[in-house]
Amino acid sequence: MKVLATYNIKGGVGKTATAVNLAHVAAAHGNRVLVWDLDPQGAATFYFRVKPKVKGGGKAIVRGSLELGDAIKATDFDNLDLVPADFSYRHLDLWLDDAKKPLVRIRRALRQVSEEYDYVFLDCPPSISLTSESVFRAADALLVPTIPTTLSLRTYEQLDRFVEENPDMVRELKILGFFSMVDRHKRLHRRFMNDLRAAHPELLEATIPNSTDIERMGVHREPVGAYGKGSKPARAYEALWSEIQTRL
Amino acid sequence: MSKMRRYEVTAAGDFASVLAVLTDHLGLRLLSLDEGQRSWLDTPAGTLERAETTLEFRRPSGDGTPTLTWAAEGRVLVHDPCVSSTPPVQSSELPDSPAFARLATLVDGGELVAGPTVNSQIAVLACLDDEEKTTARIIFDRSETIDGITLPMLLEVLPLRGYEDEASALEKKLKRSVALSASVTPMRELAQQGASEGRGAGSGEDGAALVPTMSAASAWRAVFQDLSDAITKSFSGVLSGNDPEDLHAFRVAVRRIRTILQDGDDVVDPESRDRFRHEYRWLGDVTTPTRDADVHLIEFPELAATLPPSRREELVPFKGILERHRADCHAAMTVELRSMRRAEFGTAWLSFLADDDAWTGCGDLADEPVLRIVLRRVEKANRQLVKNGRKISKKSPAIALHELRKEGKRLRYLLECFSPLFNEKALATILRPLRDVQDDLGEFQDTEVQANALLELAGELEGADDHSALMAIGGVIEQLGVRGAEARASFSKTFGQFDNRKVQRAFDQLEPRKKKR
Repeated sequence: MKVLATYNIKGGVGKTATAVNLAHVAAAHGNRVLVWDLDPQGAATFYFRVKPKVKGGGKAIVRGSLELGDAIKATDFDNLDLVPADFSYRHLDLWLDDAKKPLVRIRRALRQVSEEYDYVFLDCPPSISLTSESVFRAADALLVPTIPTTLSLRTYEQLDRFVEENPDMVRELKILGFFSMVDRHKRLHRRFMNDLRAAHPELLEATIPNSTDIERMGVHREPVGAYGKGSKPARAYEALWSEIQTRL
Repeated sequence: MSKMRRYEVTAAGDFASVLAVLTDHLGLRLLSLDEGQRSWLDTPAGTLERAETTLEFRRPSGDGTPTLTWAAEGRVLVHDPCVSSTPPVQSSELPDSPAFARLATLVDGGELVAGPTVNSQIAVLACLDDEEKTTARIIFDRSETIDGITLPMLLEVLPLRGYEDEASALEKKLKRSVALSASVTPMRELAQQGASEGRGAGSGEDGAALVPTMSAASAWRAVFQDLSDAITKSFSGVLSGNDPEDLHAFRVAVRRIRTILQDGDDVVDPESRDRFRHEYRWLGDVTTPTRDADVHLIEFPELAATLPPSRREELVPFKGILERHRADCHAAMTVELRSMRRAEFGTAWLSFLADDDAWTGCGDLADEPVLRIVLRRVEKANRQLVKNGRKISKKSPAIALHELRKEGKRLRYLLECFSPLFNEKALATILRPLRDVQDDLGEFQDTEVQANALLELAGELEGADDHSALMAIGGVIEQLGVRGAEARASFSKTFGQFDNRKVQRAFDQLEPRKKKR
């Protein structure tokens, strides 16, 4: 089982869209996939039409008194399950802080379902906190959507530095950055992409376009590949998944 | 994991009317409605069935692309278009995806064979909650065999993980709206049974629909068809191994086909005749060890009864050995019967029977009236039996009796398979003593084979140092020897009842008398 976390310190960069769409692509390819929505906003949960509530509470999962498997809900798609968000996840940092060995809590919970899934996508809230550090410990790779703008460039470099400065915490963690919400008509986007690629050649080649098709996920409440099969963004997520697999 | 629940729809009405109740009355959302042909695939050893999964090759009506669906308990593990328009016969031909790679591992990279094929209408429906999220899927399946046998309509409720309560509520509503009865039999099994029933109208005992004036080729073809039906009818029973009679019926039909093929020179296409004789011989051979093991077990109580009551208990450990041996034989036979060879030969045989061209101008005597040809072959078989039967003496080796038994079978099968052509009274006059001769020869051979087999299996007891059981087996084998000797001693008298003027004259009266106007 590979654990992939969609992560960025900055919000609004397409983390949830990445988690939901890549999970959908991976499942459509015949993989057994789980999405764990760790963001109290519950956008991934919303996209899958699942009610944002964990029976027994999210805290119980973190504490280990509730099996992760008992919180899983099947989505409408074959081989694709979800641990829904719970608004109480806003206290996740506090729960972890209270717990013994907080950094391994998420990893331990995931170990319970390691035989059931090929890939787990963790949809993380934006920030660098105890929650994100616990995610870094659990994940094999961080998928970092990055908008080609100055602020995004700053946050990507912040994360890169953090990883470099904390080798014990992140261990074998791979950082897989890629450009998201790209508007190729904008000269600024093209320039930033060129600059950033020059400075960070490890960035993935595949890019996700800025597209109303992706925005419509909120209307359809399903992954873009479900209602826009063959569309440009659907193809972009396919290409991204294909490239990610070569890097894992 | 939430368990799928299966029901048979017992409500009156057709597929469309029940579907209307599901959508209009119960408000279920129709996700897909597919029509077409589907076949279940498995390894020759039935690996997928044992793993409680199914692999379906679906060919939609019209120009749609065929698909392969691998599912467990109704849940789709993978569903992909199939590049080829025919089912894959090797796991290496499965589509390239992680799930199919898992499937290839499960079947150990081996071959796949097609099981039953049905024409289906399959509706997939969803039960939605107030967020329009699916909480349960319903698969409504109406299928009929390719022979047109309608199978029971099945309705399967698949609760989605985490929505078990909602699925239970749906089931209650379903039961109130549609007449259902719980069922444990999946459609694959129903299809297998249906195929057997559909094709199994002929028993091979009653004879095909024959008239004396029809061409020899048409008659031979009709007899083969009737015997093939008997094979198909017993096939699923042979695989399940629950009733030894199924295997017995299967083997009788196989032997009869071999005999009729043997006597089909100048009537059946020579190349096909050679090929199928060879394959049917193989089919007979692979089933022999299991039939022998069945006979050991069937006759065991009777043989044990020949021992003094105080010694019968000593045979209990040996019965266990017989049962294990029978299970081993059956498992080995099942692998052969599910093999690619069996599937290909079975398909080729049915295609041969269905192909009009294969039966046109296929031999010098093909267009001759059947009665004339069959009478000639009966006469020849009888002449040979009488000639060799008269040679049997008390000193004849066992092999001579075994050969005579085969000749007797040939004559008997010719008479029985073409029985509708003959004068009933003359036929009965011949068959009664002929069967007695066969019974004697059969008893002689079977007791010898059985004694040898029991002696060999008794070797397994020696390791257990179980002398009392060994002694008891010795007693049983002795009894078999006595029975064999009795059969041999009575042969001369029994054969004399066949080889006499009255019976031999009946051969001249086999042609039915023309009705007086």
